[in-house]
Amino acid sequence: MEAPANHRLILEHLKRKIPRRLAILVNSCVHCGLCSDSCHYYLAENKSRFIPAFRTDRLSSLFRRYHTWLGRLIPFWTGARGVEELSLKEFTDAVFGECTMCGRCSINCSVGLDIGFLIREARKILVELNQVPRSLQSTVDKAVTTGNNMAIKEEELTGTIQWLEEELQQEVGDPRAKIPLNKAGARVLYTLNPREPKFFPLSIIAIAKIFYAAGENWTLSSTNFDATNYAYYSGDDQAARIIARRLVDEAEKLGVNILAVTECGHAYRSIRWESPNWLGKRFGFKVKSILELIADYLSEGRIRVDPSANSAPVTLHDPCNLVRYGGVVEVQRHILRQAVSNFVEMHPNRENNYCCGGGGGLLSMSEYAELRLKAGKAKVEQIRQTGAKVVAAPCHNCIDQLMELNKKYKLGIEARTIGEIVADALILPSGRVNPSTDSPSKKG
Amino acid sequence: MPFIEFKGKKVEVNEEGFLIKAEDWSEELAKVLAEAEGIDELTEDHWKVINYIRQYYLDHDIAPMVRLLCKETRFPLRYIYQLFTSGPARGACKLAGLPKPDGCV
Repeated sequence: MEAPANHRLILEHLKRKIPRRLAILVNSCVHCGLCSDSCHYYLAENKSRFIPAFRTDRLSSLFRRYHTWLGRLIPFWTGARGVEELSLKEFTDAVFGECTMCGRCSINCSVGLDIGFLIREARKILVELNQVPRSLQSTVDKAVTTGNNMAIKEEELTGTIQWLEEELQQEVGDPRAKIPLNKAGARVLYTLNPREPKFFPLSIIAIAKIFYAAGENWTLSSTNFDATNYAYYSGDDQAARIIARRLVDEAEKLGVNILAVTECGHAYRSIRWESPNWLGKRFGFKVKSILELIADYLSEGRIRVDPSANSAPVTLHDPCNLVRYGGVVEVQRHILRQAVSNFVEMHPNRENNYCCGGGGGLLSMSEYAELRLKAGKAKVEQIRQTGAKVVAAPCHNCIDQLMELNKKYKLGIEARTIGEIVADALILPSGRVNPSTDSPSKKG
Repeated sequence: MPFIEFKGKKVEVNEEGFLIKAEDWSEELAKVLAEAEGIDELTEDHWKVINYIRQYYLDHDIAPMVRLLCKETRFPLRYIYQLFTSGPARGACKLAGLPKPDGCV
């Protein structure tokens, strides 16, 4: 039995804050069951509690009990449940630990319900009840208090960028190659996932190399460089606004035309699609995925690639927030068809692709790690069937999950960003492809 | 809370095998954590990375940037990824007894 104060808060939330869109959602599920086979959790575990309709019924049964006349009069008739029947632990596990908000159930839903949206609304209630899993909350707190989700200090970032700039100069054989910081009037402001400068900087060098070859006028910010927004995952709109505003202010301050987002699904979705609503304004600059810029460079002939540099079979993972929810679907295929010599689609693909299991903030939540790795089984099978040796994954979050799946299920693959794949195939202005140097990033 | 049995005692770890209390760490325990990571034997180079991360964490309460790790150990970045196939965070930091870093790892 939960404390009555929690029950009161849940009921108040349902009464005051339930948006029209959600009210329609909770009233419209016809329990057809089509969503069951669409969910990677249900495919992996085959338990009824992993059926998306069952998951969302935890919230909609409450709504029916208090906000529909039939549910109020004859609760058992409509499957309505009183708040006293709700276990907060079970509710938290269902909305944080057992759903990546990947949205695959929504496109397979007979009445088109946006179940990911409903789960996030449920997460919002749990924010008010201080029930956000510890590790996810800690990531949001770090971002709000330090300016990025890994608490990287400005001097640490600039030190890393200088180091990477030296690497870049060696790789392209041009001492004038730069990674410009805080450059006002640049055309493009490029933003990062903090795990890149902290632990995995090869993806930054790769993009810098592409910008160099394209002759792009670009910059990084030394303070507001974090493209991620974990408050999107936690359901905390107040924190989400604080984090989003930093990027928008930085782009406006530097006067850029384009804010380009690193290969990170939820970051793209947050700043491209959610932030104008969070902040209640239109932006004076465009938000683009870095993939859109790379595809433009290829189409305009600003960069050239040699696919023979990438001869191993490559397949492509579709990150949910970039593809299904973000609308960036074809450009990555356009790029890969030119940059690799053997591109194999996995099936299903594009909007119908399966989640890797690491989305929805799950990667950061150790609490649910065991289930997260089980839920990746659908992805593992898809990859196995392609016979690919490289999985291109335009999302750093997905890459980490794929690396873990690779280890657990012994897939024998390498997960890489599209930027890294393109950089390896790049024909530089000096005509050299992927020069081998003795620079520190190369094998010892 | 999950735990691992070590020298007849229970050492608390999180669901992904990161130590809960950094002070529980010892070289022998690192060897046990390495086995779980699929590293059969910790070489001198592994120890160089682990010891640097460990000392940096004790001084700064956070994991070092990978740039510092490369600079101090004089190892190329790709060599560090080879030593710790789960990466600097899930691999090296775990073996050095750090709590799981926040963020996309």
